[in-house]
Amino acid sequence: MAEHRTKPSELDQGKCDADDNVKIICLGDSAVGKSKLMERFLMDGFQPQQLSTYALTLYKHTATVDGKTILVDFWDTAGQERFQSMHASYYHKAHACIMVFDVQRKVTYKNLSAWYTELREFRPEIPCLVVANKIDADINVTQKSFNFAKKFSLPLYFVSAADGTNVVKLFNDAIRLAVSYKQNSQDFMDEILQELENFNLEQEEEDVPDQEQSGSIETPSEEVASPHS
Amino acid sequence: MSFLKSLCNLHIFIRFPLTSLDMYVGMMCTAKKCGIRFQPPAIILIYESEIKGKIRQRIMPVRNFSKFSDCTRAAEQLKNNPRHKSYLEQVSLRQLEKLFSFLRGYLSGQSLAETMEQIRQETTIDPEEDLNKLDDKELAKRKSIMDELFEKNQKKKDDPNFVYDIEVEFPQDDQLQSCGWDTESADEF
Repeated sequence: MAEHRTKPSELDQGKCDADDNVKIICLGDSAVGKSKLMERFLMDGFQPQQLSTYALTLYKHTATVDGKTILVDFWDTAGQERFQSMHASYYHKAHACIMVFDVQRKVTYKNLSAWYTELREFRPEIPCLVVANKIDADINVTQKSFNFAKKFSLPLYFVSAADGTNVVKLFNDAIRLAVSYKQNSQDFMDEILQELENFNLEQEEEDVPDQEQSGSIETPSEEVASPHS
Repeated sequence: MSFLKSLCNLHIFIRFPLTSLDMYVGMMCTAKKCGIRFQPPAIILIYESEIKGKIRQRIMPVRNFSKFSDCTRAAEQLKNNPRHKSYLEQVSLRQLEKLFSFLRGYLSGQSLAETMEQIRQETTIDPEEDLNKLDDKELAKRKSIMDELFEKNQKKKDDPNFVYDIEVEFPQDDQLQSCGWDTESADEF
């Protein structure tokens, strides 16, 4: 069903079955270090695809979880966060969310609640990891409690994209959580979407919400999302 | 602040005669201090010449600079000036830029305190400012200020003691002091 789409990595993707593909989105205010975290995790291995038309950067990554090869699409905001809201397609079929604030700037912490509310509107169940970034600037923050994470029972990570503290752990955990979410999702919308895909509906119909504003965003996770294929 | 002190000293007290130091071009020198003189405008470098271990000063006149000039460009031009280049190797572009900002402030009739405040605003992040509300140019400025600290703390891949996966546990238990950003009420975090 994805044959009519062309993109460089299509062949690679075709090798893998549906369970091996997850989408992880990054959320958070401008300049909290989202891209720097991505780059620290991927190091040389990253080839971001700038989709500036959609204010979006895509990073593709291959990971191994429990001996299985997982293709990960990381979605980064590329400035869209300035509208303090993301387009619905950004959240569409995401399997996990990495939500970042800057320990140096209170406003980025306070805005987490707005980001979290929006996330839950679109993705009520997906795992969400809260990230306190830039601990290299003030290591004392790691001795403090941040109630936001506690309140919503979300895991909190103290990280530094600069010196690398806990960056790899964060991303590996996110991938693991995304995979396990995808395998065990009880989310009503997910189940419906999967059912629809199993019926092999026309792409046009299936992708209506995307096509309105971001018709050609390359989202491989959409094309191979059926676990039964 | 000691830099500012030396700067004021330069401005008020030091009027060096222009000496011919061109013979040292291409030789190693260690920069000690760099400041600006307002009248007539000049960047002054105090350095140690490697040959004799002697402290010397170099006065680099600033020409064609007005209160409308671009400090970054002026700094770049001076740093790349063939006559001064080798002396200014150890002086950062940012420091030169800052010195030119002082000169610009002086030329536009600001007090030293006003200029210092202006420079402080331009080189530090206001933690209360909502960066989501800035335009591209202003946001890029803030990011470049932040990048300075990032680069200072960055452990790069080619550093000899670079470790890719660094895990540090920071236990979150009830003994922790609050971050101070949470409100008291139960409804809010």
